[in-house]
Formats: sequence, C-alpha cells, structure tokens
Amino acid sequence: MEIRVEGLVKHYRSEGRTVKALDRVDLHIPSRSIFTLLGPSGCGKTTLLRCIVGLETPDDGEIRIGDQLVWSRRQGIAVPTEKRGLGMVFQSYAIWPHMTVFDNVAYPLQVRGVARAQIEERTTAALRFVQLEGYGDRPATRLSGGQQQRVALARALVAEPGVILFDEPLSNLDAKLREETRKELKRFLGTLGITAVYVTHDRVEALALSDTIAVMQAGRVVEVGTPRQIYFDAAHQFVADFIGRANLLPATVREHGKGTTRVECALGAIACAPRALPAGSAATLCLRPEFLHLHPQGASAPGNVVHGLIESLAFVGDACEAEVRVGDALLLARTEPDTPLREGDAVSLSVEPAHCLLLAA
Amino acid sequence: MSAGSSASTLARVLVLVVGALTIAPVAMLAFGSVSEGLDAFGRFTLAKYVAAYTDPALLKVLWNTVVFVLGSTLLATLLALVLAYLNTRTDIPFKFIFGVLAIVPMMIPHLLFSVAWALLLNPSNGLVNRALVDLLGLQGPLLNIYSLPGMIFVEGLLNMPIAYLIIAPAMASFDVSLEESSRVCGSNPWRTLLRITLPVLRPAILAAFVLGVVRALASYAVPRVLGTPGRVDVLATYLYEMVSTGFSPDWGRAAALGMSALATSIALVWIYRALTGESSRFVTVSSRGWRPSVVALGRMRLPLTAGVALLSLFIVVLPVLVLLYTSLVPYAMLPSAQAFAQMSLRHWTAVFDDPTSLLALLNSLVLAVAGATIGVLLSLLIAHVTVRQRSRAAGTLETLTFLSFSFPGIVIGIGFMWFFVRTPLYATLWALLIGYVATYLPYGVRPLASALVQVHTHLEESSLVCGASRAATLRRIVAPLLVPGIVSAWILMATMFLRELTLSVVLSRPGSEVLAVQILAYADDGLWGRLSALGMVMILISTALVVLAHLAGSRMRAGVASG
Repeated sequence: MEIRVEGLVKHYRSEGRTVKALDRVDLHIPSRSIFTLLGPSGCGKTTLLRCIVGLETPDDGEIRIGDQLVWSRRQGIAVPTEKRGLGMVFQSYAIWPHMTVFDNVAYPLQVRGVARAQIEERTTAALRFVQLEGYGDRPATRLSGGQQQRVALARALVAEPGVILFDEPLSNLDAKLREETRKELKRFLGTLGITAVYVTHDRVEALALSDTIAVMQAGRVVEVGTPRQIYFDAAHQFVADFIGRANLLPATVREHGKGTTRVECALGAIACAPRALPAGSAATLCLRPEFLHLHPQGASAPGNVVHGLIESLAFVGDACEAEVRVGDALLLARTEPDTPLREGDAVSLSVEPAHCLLLAA
Repeated sequence: MSAGSSASTLARVLVLVVGALTIAPVAMLAFGSVSEGLDAFGRFTLAKYVAAYTDPALLKVLWNTVVFVLGSTLLATLLALVLAYLNTRTDIPFKFIFGVLAIVPMMIPHLLFSVAWALLLNPSNGLVNRALVDLLGLQGPLLNIYSLPGMIFVEGLLNMPIAYLIIAPAMASFDVSLEESSRVCGSNPWRTLLRITLPVLRPAILAAFVLGVVRALASYAVPRVLGTPGRVDVLATYLYEMVSTGFSPDWGRAAALGMSALATSIALVWIYRALTGESSRFVTVSSRGWRPSVVALGRMRLPLTAGVALLSLFIVVLPVLVLLYTSLVPYAMLPSAQAFAQMSLRHWTAVFDDPTSLLALLNSLVLAVAGATIGVLLSLLIAHVTVRQRSRAAGTLETLTFLSFSFPGIVIGIGFMWFFVRTPLYATLWALLIGYVATYLPYGVRPLASALVQVHTHLEESSLVCGASRAATLRRIVAPLLVPGIVSAWILMATMFLRELTLSVVLSRPGSEVLAVQILAYADDGLWGRLSALGMVMILISTALVVLAHLAGSRMRAGVASG
C-alpha cells in the first residue's frame, strides 16, 4: 500500500512560541518497500509518522493511505487512528504488562471481532513468524528487550495491515543486540513484502535497512533516495554531512572535463565526480575519511594526490584516525589499525575523483 | 481533529459536569448571601453581611477559630516533622509503627475520635479524670477536654497523619550530601539541622502546614463534640448553629459569613498547590544517588521510642478501646471487676432495634458503595483528561477539581442546600450522593492521576493503532493497568463517605439520616453506650471495606494477568 503526503503542516506551541514541526511536507512512500525517515532529533520525523498513524492532528495538508484519504483539512476528513488499519511498533514497544504474550498479539484481531478459532490460528502463526512459538502463555513482562520487540512486531503484523510503522524501534536495545535485531527485522520485512515506514536518527540503521531514505531537517524533507544515492551522491551539504563523516571544504568550480569536474580549493586543484555546476561558481567539496588513503611521502598513488603532515593519530580499534594538515586545511582520514605511520610523519594523501563529491555551496 | 475530537468532547463534558458540581453550590452561596428572606434569589440586599459581620459575638468566635486552627496545625506539623525525621533518618526501632500511625487514623472517623477523647477526659465523668481523682485524691477533675487546649490536642492528633504523608517523602528523598557538606564546613549537627535541613525542606513543611490550616478551618467534628459543651464556638459550629436553630434559621447570614471562610480556604489551597509544585522540584531533583545516612540516637533512643509508643497509644489504641469498652458497660464506670461483670451487648441490641439507626446504617452503606463507585468512575475520566491532555479544557478541569479541595463542608453544605431546595432531590439520598461526590472528588482524582502518570502513553496509543476505540482502550488497557490506583481511590472515597459528617449535618433530613448524623444525635441525647456501639459498627465496616477491596484488587489483578 502506498502513502502520499501533500503539503503537511504541523505547529507546536511551547512556552508561547510557535515551532514548525512540519513545514509543508510532500512525500510519496512507494508500496512494498522499506521507507526510512532519517534526521536529527527535533527534525519532525516522529511527528510525521504520528500524523500518518493519526496520533497527531496536522494543521494543514493531506494524507492518503492506499486509495483512502485519511486526513484532509480542505475536505474536512479525519479518519481516527483506530480506523486506519495500520500496524505500529513503538520506541518503548508498548507491550501491555497486564496481558500474556498471546493476548498482546491477539488484541488487534479481538478488537476487530475476528472469530475465536481464527484468532488462535493467526496469533500462533504471527508468533511463529517472529520465532516466539510457545511463548504465548508467558506474562508479557517476563521477556527480554529483544523478545518484547518481536512481540511488538507480531502484534503489528497479525492483522495483516497494508503498512507497518516503526518509531525508533531499536533505540532501546544495547549495541550488539541492536545489530542482530536490525538484520532480523530486515529479513522479516523482506519476507512480508509489506510497506514499512521507519523512523530513526541512526544513519547506519537507515543505510542498512532501507530501500529508500528521506532525510529530514527542521520540519522539511531535504532529500529522498536509495541508501547509495544518499551516501555517494547527496545533493545537499546537510545530507552529505549527516549520512556519514565528511571533510567539507569551500571550493570554486573551474572547468568540466571528460568524466570529471575540476575545482580549486585549499588542497589545490582537485578532480571531482562530475556535477552540473557553472564554472566559476562557489561549491563545497565533500571528502569522506574512509576514501582518503594515506601513504608514506613519495609513494605513488592513483587519483588526486596532496601532501601533508599527520597532526594527530588516534587508534580506535578497527581503524586509525589521522588528522592531516594540508596547507590551511585539516583533513580527517581513516586508515588501517596497524598503520606504521605516526604523528608528525609527512604523508601523501590520495583520493579517487569518483569519491570527491561536489555540493552546491 | 482526528485524534482529538472525541477526547476534547470528553474534556468539555467533564468541565460541564465538574463545573456544575463545584460552581453551583458556590454560586448559590453567593446569591443567597445577598438576597432578602430565606430564598437564594430574593431581592438584593447587603443586610445579611451587615448582620453577620457586626455581631458582637463574632469577635470571640474568630479569636477561638484562629487559636484552634493555628494551634492544632502547629501541633500536627511539629509531630509529623519529628516522626518523619525519626522514621527516615534515625535508627529508631519498630519502624512499621510509623506506617500504622500514618494510615490507621484515616480509618477512625474524626467524630468517634473526638467522642473517645470526651469519654476519657470530660470533666464530669471522663475515665482518666476519675481515675486521677481516685489515684491522687483530688477535689475535682484535673483535665478538661471541653476547652480550646483540649480541642487543639485532639485536632492536632487527627491532622498529624496528613502532614506526615507530605513531609516524610520529602525527608526520605532529601540529599544527605547537603548536610554532609555543611558538617565538613565545620557546622555542628544542630546548626546543620536549623541552617540546612529545615530550610531545604521548607516547601514540604509549609505545604503540610497550609493543608492542616485548611482542614482545621473546615473541621466540624472536634469543635462540635469538644467545643460546644464548654461553649467554645469556632466558625464551623457558629455557622451551623445559625442554620440549625429550630425557630429562626438564618441561612443568609451564615452564607455571608461562610463566603469569607470559603475565600480564605480557596486562597490557602492555591498556596498549597504552588508549594507542592515547588517542593517536588526542590527535593526530588537532588535525590539522585541518595544513600540513607542513619543518625544514631544513642541515649535518646529509649525515651524517643517510648514517646512514639505513647503517641500510637493515643492515636490508635486508646480511642478504639474506650469505644469498645463504653459500648459494653451499662454506664460510665472505671474498668474494674464489677464493670467487667456487668458487661453486656445491651447497647448493641438497642442500636439494632432502633429503626433510625438501621436506616442510617443502610443509607451510609448505599452512599459509600454507590458514591465511591460513581466517584471513582468520574475521577478516572478526569484523571485521564488532566494527565493526558494539554488543552485549555484539561487545565480548567484540573483547577475545578482542585477547587472542591478547599470547600469547608458546612459552608458548601449551605450552598448545596439552596441548590437542592429548588429540585425534587431535596431531602433525598441523591442530594447527599451528589454533595459527597462533588466535595470529595479530589480524593479520587489524585491517586488515579498519580497512578496514570506511571502508565506510558504508548500503551494507549498502540491500542488505538491496533484498531481499538477510545472507550475500548480505556476499558481494556487503561483501567486494568490502574487497578491498584482504582482500588485505593475506591477505599478512600468509600471510607470517607461512610463517616461523612459536615456535609451530612446540613443536608440530611428525616429519612435520609446517615451514620455520623445518628451518632451525633446519640451524643446530644447523652446515649454514650449506643453511640459507642454504633461507632464500633462504623469502624468495623470501614475495616471490612478496606480488607474486601484489597482482596478484590488482588483477585482482579490475578484474573487480568491470567485471562
């Protein structure tokens, strides 16, 4: 089921000031895909999700789920949450502590008046799907965080909704469990072939899970694309900076060659991935630390090569992170954990033009 | 609109209901105080005010009221402060006693507590007085409970638990490092107590004091039982005499005087509300990483323990024992072999042969069960709106609910009286039921609101997402999770309705008698044996209600968990 959001506006009043939580948001969430709303806290992603599910009331705009218009200010349509037929996994899981696992999962079927035998069958199937078969009689509170998460998922999908919404479902798990659960979730959603809207502030989670990512900032959707598009080919500085670590340098566009755009910046002349920016215009060069390769000075390397001094070197376990002084610029570069390089060493820095991302200033 | 429409409709409906319950009596009181004749809507006149405030007797009444209110509240707050300190900060033994001291007095109606002390310390045949006369060979009685000091003593004991319940939690969450750093700075323990501990706890202590003043100002039982015989009138009894004097009840004058009592009370509750808001900020913020540092009492341990034991005797044991004893002996006599030989159930059978007593018992039971059930249902809805919604209607609702917290029973009873006289409800149980629910609503809303704060909003929202309506969510998710809060709110309301006196003396009429009113009638007739027997019935029912509600609560929880 696809979701269409048009011109959605939502204001909050706090301490006499009006805050725009959503500022004319337009969004198309395609059917049968995992769609992530990504952004820093306060960007409006959770508000947007809660508007879609009906727990918040927008101030203006339209929301359409499948063929049904569920909210429209102009037409005065407001379908209440319980009539929207969605599934949702909350950040806190919202497992009802006074019910068993079975009753938690069976609830959506019970309130829809499904026949008892069918409830039994479908609930058991949902529990089997999330690998909690045989846990039905347990009190819901006697489960680990990961298991509660799976109960919440089973409850969200048991009534076979067209859309499942996720509000930062992994943020309450510890780092190791979060990674496992993320993979599991991806497998579950892949099997279901359902439309999933997923809210997170964690870029790794967004990149690993999503078919499509919408990056939000200050109540607006800044950019929409596949994880690779967002990571390698962001159009906005905010997005490029948010989706991964980045060295951002002011640059001036010089000329368009074959397969590259050449710019002038603090590092000198750099060949970049082509970008249709007029020659002479100001731009920002984005270099990700993981694509900056360090070599002892004098070694030959492909692509753009600049020379500098290692100002600091931090060993962080799976890598060494070096701050390299090149002229006026200080660049962060990631290299192997067992690099022989040390602070104070003179180095050559190389980067492929394909990994030099040019952004409009 | 979508999520909000039914919810805000509910909020508006509740504002109307609670507004009618709380504003109606106040408005009637205000109209009545400026209207000519006995009616609330007569021609406008200020004569009632002139008459009320120029009465030469008023000055003495006001003086008595101020001494009684401040004296008893000071006593209650000081006792509570000492007890809270002993329990939370020292190595005093038998700490369970403090819990008993804080809860049990709530089960003993103020009326019976006052009567018990009258039986012990009245000047003509009080048991303690007679024992002292015999023991010391005195000419006359040593102590007279029918006096201002007597009233202050009894009211102070009665209001101590409320003060304790406000001060003790604040004391328990007190950040001990504040004291420790004072000690490190070179201050001795006394100085630390005076310069650091008490000032930091000041909001809680002040809140306890202000609430005590509101309660003592509204108190009717103690002045009626202990003040009236010695002709010590305070505002509550003075007002009641005005409206109850058989041949010339003067409702308007009482209303005119009651308006200032009500205004004072509302102002105090406003202050209390501000203070409790502040005290929770003040104290809990610094509670992180708290570790109790226990003060060793040393040589003071024994005398202090004895003091607490004596207080428990005064507050819990003695009142119940003296009532039980009086209900069994034929007339006031000192405990002796002869007295025990003459014990019988004659007062008990007399009470159960008296149709008025039986009617009062039945009425009180009906009012307690029906009133608590309606009150809890209403409180549940109010608590839900005030905790979960941020709308203006929700804020209004909270204020309205808090308003009835400040109603002095006698005064608001007069307002209700005028209101009900215009309806067919006058002189029926319905009048009492509505009055009870309106006046005691905060006692239902507060425990439910604090229970609801503990229930994460996601638990409700996920039920909506699952397709359940708001009503189904309230019934299947919210209510079961609130079972403990619902049970305690129900017990609190039921026991309060079972013993209700101040509103009842104004509203009850032949046919709608209730227990407390009947007990007061026995007191007026000097039938202490029957009074004690009926009083014991009241205490037993209260206790049974608590036990039953607890059992029902745990069964409900078990049922909910398994089904």
